[in-house]
Amino acid sequence: MSFDPDIVAAFVDGELDDLTARRVEREAAGDAALAAEIARLRALRTQLTAHYAPVAEEAVPERLSALLVMDDKVDTSLDGRRAARRSRFEAIHWGALAASLVLGLTIGLQPWAPTADVTSDNGVLVASGPLADALDTRLASNQPADAAVRIGLSFRDNAGRYCRSFESGTIDGIGCRAGGGWQLEGTRRGQARGDYRQAASGELAAMAAGMMAGEPLDADAERAARDGGWAAHQAP
Amino acid sequence: MRFEEELVALLPRLRRFARGLTRHASDADDLCQAAIERALKSRDQWQQGTRLDSWMYRITRNLWIDERRAAGRRGPHQSIDGDVVQIAGDGIVEVEAGALRGDVDGAMARLPDEQREVVMLVLVEGYAYREAADILEVPIGTVTSRLARGRETLIHYLGEAA
Repeated sequence: MSFDPDIVAAFVDGELDDLTARRVEREAAGDAALAAEIARLRALRTQLTAHYAPVAEEAVPERLSALLVMDDKVDTSLDGRRAARRSRFEAIHWGALAASLVLGLTIGLQPWAPTADVTSDNGVLVASGPLADALDTRLASNQPADAAVRIGLSFRDNAGRYCRSFESGTIDGIGCRAGGGWQLEGTRRGQARGDYRQAASGELAAMAAGMMAGEPLDADAERAARDGGWAAHQAP
Repeated sequence: MRFEEELVALLPRLRRFARGLTRHASDADDLCQAAIERALKSRDQWQQGTRLDSWMYRITRNLWIDERRAAGRRGPHQSIDGDVVQIAGDGIVEVEAGALRGDVDGAMARLPDEQREVVMLVLVEGYAYREAADILEVPIGTVTSRLARGRETLIHYLGEAA
């Protein structure tokens, strides 16, 4: 083999300048030992990358993302949730947000939008179209990877209503079951791009934590609630 | 919120790096949690305009090394070099080549910490040698030599790909 092992490793790691890299490539075309060495090092890289890739695909645990949403540590006690609800959730400038969403979606700043996800019902924002369908029927435990609307947490709030957090290309927020529809709370413009979506997910989860009574629904409870038409329960 | 947002965006990768260092899912998330807390506390030390990811990786790695050293003081069998099985040299090859075929975790576990972290940074996280050297605060030659030894050990245990 005509190259120093460090050069071959640097070649595989993309560390060589273009000129040297081309020399290695040319040489490898006629040097079986060199070609085999390159293949050997590449195979290791591929194997390691494939082995660890799923970790980065996992949902980031709440306990980590929550650290970055609030200034202080997340307090998951009931009192903590009440405090969070008072101080943050209700402070969202959601009047202005609501107005812009309704304007944008119903008056036609986005005339290309296939079906509005949001309508206004006597001044209250409610889900409609595909968003309402998703909130009605989709289970967080069983949703296509490329779903336009992704369901996050499902839970009951202190009023006993079922609520579900969701993300879509257009809006993110939490829908709570009321009057046979989904009343939207804390909606904000959806974040289509990955990095921002991560941040938005953390905020949504923290918001949900501030609203929920007890624990989020597990997969079975979520399915049962859906099959029961999301009928409200009395507050515990 | 800029700082927090960037950190949130980094978390999936940081968890992967931590998984490689600690080799256990829950240890990795504990490490990430400690790193985030440290980062939030010392955010003033991060210089705007420099790479937040390198800074975070460095914090994470240093916390892990501290943890390993503390564990080493607690028990003689867990010193930082405790699980070094030096097979990369010319010497002894006690374990049959390819004995851990397919068992990446098992093979990584046999690397000394200082090789494992380089392998993770360069081969998994995709950092350039220079960047890895900055994160680890070692000369670039140290990165390449540790990487070479780590690679040979891994290939030895995992066997050459078919």
